[in-house]
Amino acid sequence: MSATTTAKLPRWPWLRAFLAEESRAWLFVAKSLLAMYVAAWLAMWLKLEQPSTTMITVAVVMHPHSGMVLAKSFYRALGTLAGSLFGLALIALFPQQRELFFLVLSAWLALCAGGATLYRNFMAYGFVLAGYTAAIVTLPTVGNPLNSFDSAVMRVSEVLLGILVAAVFSDLLLPQRLRVVLRQSARTQFARFIDFVRESTGGALPRARMEQAHLEFVRAAVHLEDLRASVIFEDPEVRMRSARMRLLNQRYMAAATSFQSLHHLINRLQRRGRDAVAQALIGAYRPIGEALSLPLAEQHDPALLTRHLRVCAERLPAHVATFRARFDEPAARLEFDTGAALVQRFADELADFTAVEASLRAGNLRGSVERVHFRRGNDLAGAAVATLRTFLTMLVLAAFWLASGWAFGGSAMLLATIFAGLLAASPNPIAAATRTFYGYAGGMAAGFVAVFVLLPGSEGFAMLVCATAGLLLIGPYLATRDALPGVGAGYTLGFVYILALKNPMVYDPTHFLNDAIAQVAGLGLSGAAFMVMPGVTGTQWQRRRQLRLLREQVTLAASAPLPGLMWRFESVSRDLLQQVVAHTRPDSEESHHLLAWSLAVQESGRAVIELRQELSGTDLPATAREASRAALEAVADLYRAPTPPRWQVADAAVLAAIHAVPRGATARSHLYQLRSALRDEESPLGAYMPLPEAAHAA
Amino acid sequence: MPPEIELFGVMMPSLLPVFLLSFALMVVLDLAIGRAGLYRRLWHPSLFRFALFVCLFGAAGLLLIR
Repeated sequence: MSATTTAKLPRWPWLRAFLAEESRAWLFVAKSLLAMYVAAWLAMWLKLEQPSTTMITVAVVMHPHSGMVLAKSFYRALGTLAGSLFGLALIALFPQQRELFFLVLSAWLALCAGGATLYRNFMAYGFVLAGYTAAIVTLPTVGNPLNSFDSAVMRVSEVLLGILVAAVFSDLLLPQRLRVVLRQSARTQFARFIDFVRESTGGALPRARMEQAHLEFVRAAVHLEDLRASVIFEDPEVRMRSARMRLLNQRYMAAATSFQSLHHLINRLQRRGRDAVAQALIGAYRPIGEALSLPLAEQHDPALLTRHLRVCAERLPAHVATFRARFDEPAARLEFDTGAALVQRFADELADFTAVEASLRAGNLRGSVERVHFRRGNDLAGAAVATLRTFLTMLVLAAFWLASGWAFGGSAMLLATIFAGLLAASPNPIAAATRTFYGYAGGMAAGFVAVFVLLPGSEGFAMLVCATAGLLLIGPYLATRDALPGVGAGYTLGFVYILALKNPMVYDPTHFLNDAIAQVAGLGLSGAAFMVMPGVTGTQWQRRRQLRLLREQVTLAASAPLPGLMWRFESVSRDLLQQVVAHTRPDSEESHHLLAWSLAVQESGRAVIELRQELSGTDLPATAREASRAALEAVADLYRAPTPPRWQVADAAVLAAIHAVPRGATARSHLYQLRSALRDEESPLGAYMPLPEAAHAA
Repeated sequence: MPPEIELFGVMMPSLLPVFLLSFALMVVLDLAIGRAGLYRRLWHPSLFRFALFVCLFGAAGLLLIR
C-alpha cells in the first residue's frame, strides 16, 4: 500500500500518521548513518588514531532537529577544548604522582558534573564534556605522559571532526527545522492564552481551574525559553529575533500574573459576600473580553488584537469610572480601586504582549527593544551534592584501579566518567542508567557479531559499511522511539565503542572481551553510584529546598534592587516551579500544595514590586513611607519562614500602612491587595491565620 | 605564510589560524546577511551558509599559504 492511495482513503488516518512518523524516523536513521560513516571515512583518510571517537561524537550529537544538533555541537566544542586544555595542564603538573593526579582529576570531573546541574539546556552538556574530555585525553596515556600532548591533539581533532560532520549533515540534508517547532509552540501558546482569557471574562474562575491553567502556562513559558536557546544556533534570523522573543515571553508572564491576581481578588470578594464589588469588577473587565472576541478566522491575529486592546485600554478609565460611582463607602471604594488598577494593568500588559507577537509575525524588526533575560532559579546545595557524589565515585574507582592493577581499569573509569556526567541531570538517573546499560550491553553483543563474524571477510570501506550498517541502524531507530529513552543511545555508543574501528583493523578476541567487561563494569559502577548516593534532583529534600527558594522570591522582591526586578522575579519563580513540578506526580496532594504556593508567591511578589515602584516614584508623606516599608519587611519575613505569629505581625503592619497612606494614592490599593492575599483562606497562607479570624472570614 | 607556524614551541598547520579567522569573518557576514533579510530569498539558506564558508576558507587558505 503506497502513501498516495492512503491519502485518498480517509478510512485509515492512523496509517497516514504511522507512515509520516516512520518516514521521519527513517530519515533520521539515514542521516545518522551517513554522517557516521562519512565521519569515519574522513577520520581514516586524515590518519587520525581512533576513528571510533569521531563516530561516537556523531552518534552523541545527532538529533532529529538540526537546531538541537548545532546547539549541542557548539557546547560540545567548547567543552572539548576546555577539557583537553585542563587534561594537558594536569599531565604537565603531575606526570609522576598518580595519587595527586587522580585526586585533581576527580575534583575537576566533580566540579564539571556539579556545574552541569545548574543549567538545563545544552550548556549543561558542555560542562559534562569539559569533564570527560579531560579524562579521555589523560587516562589512555597516564602511563606514558610524553604521549599525552599528541593524544590530546588527536582526541580534539577527532571530536571536532565529528562535530563538523554531524552539523553539516543535519543542517544541509533535508533539515528538520526546530524553528518550525518553536513557531508552532509559540502560536499554540498565544492562542491558548487568548482563548483562556476570553473564556474567563464571564466572571468567577475556580481555584482548581486556575491552578491547572497556571501550570500549563508556566510549562509553556519555560519550554519556549528552552527552544529559543537552541534555535538561535540554527537560524541567523531567529538570532535577530531572539531579543524580541525573550521580551514576548516576559510580557506574557507579566500579563498572566496580573490576570491571576485579578481573579484571586474577585474570588475573594465573592467569598466574603462582597458581591456588588465583584460584579462591578467583572463588569469593568468585560471590555477586554469584547476586544478579544473577534470572528473565528481573526481570533488569533495579534495585529488586530493589539489594535482592539489598545483602544480598549484607552477607554477603560472612563468605563471604570461609571462603575466606581456606585460605591460611596471607603472600604468598598478601596476594594474596587484595587481591582480596577489590576484591570487596567492587565489590559496594558495584554496589549504589550500582543504587540510584540504582532511585530514578530510581521517580521518587523526595526529598532531595538528592551533587553530582558529569562533568569533561572538554581539551588547551589543541590549542585554541591552532585559534585561530592561524582568526586567520591571517581576516587573510589581510581583507588580500585591503582590498588588492583587492573589492565583495563582505564576503560572502566572512562565509561563511568561519561555516564556519571551524562545521567546526573536526568530526572531518574537509576532508571536511565539501567536502560542505558541494557542498550549498551545489546550494542556490545551486536558489536561482537560484527567484529568476529561479519568483518573478517570484508575488504575495503564499502564492505565495512555493508557489514556494519544493518546492525548499527538499530541504535538511531530505537532513539526515535519515545517509549525507550536511553536504550537507543546506549546501543549506538556500545556498538561503535566496542567496534573500535582502526585502520588497519585489529582482531583480538581477548582484548575485545576484556575491554567489553571493563566497559560494562564502568557503566554498572556509575549506576551503582547513583544508588549508593542518590541524585539530589527530584528528592524530597531538594523539593523542600526549592519550595523554600520559591517562597523566598517574595523576600527577594521586597529587598533586591528595583531595576529589572520584575522580569527577574517573573522568570525565576516560574523556572523554580517548573523544576519542582517536574518531580511531583500530577494531581497529587503535593503538587496542589506547590501550585497553591506558587500562585500566592506570584500574586504577593508582584504586588510587592508594584508597591516598591510606587514608593520610589511618587511623593508620599514620610509616615506613609515608613509604614509601607515596615509592611514590606513584615511580608518578606512571613514568606521567608511562615508561622502564625509572623502572619499576625504582617497582617497588622499591612493594615497600619493602609491607614497611614492617604486616600486615593495608588500605593494603597497595592497594600490592600497584599492584605487580601494574606487573608485568602484558599491560599496556603490561610493556614497561618489565627482560628477565630478564619472562622470570621469564612 | 609558511605551511606550518610555531606556537609556544609547538608546530601547527597555519591552516588552523586561517580557519579561525575565516570562521570569525563568517560570523560577521552571517549577522549582516541575516539582518538584511537576504536569507529569506534563498532556496536553501544553510547550504548557502556552508558554501559561503567553504569559499571564504578555501580562498583564504589558497591566497595566504604558499
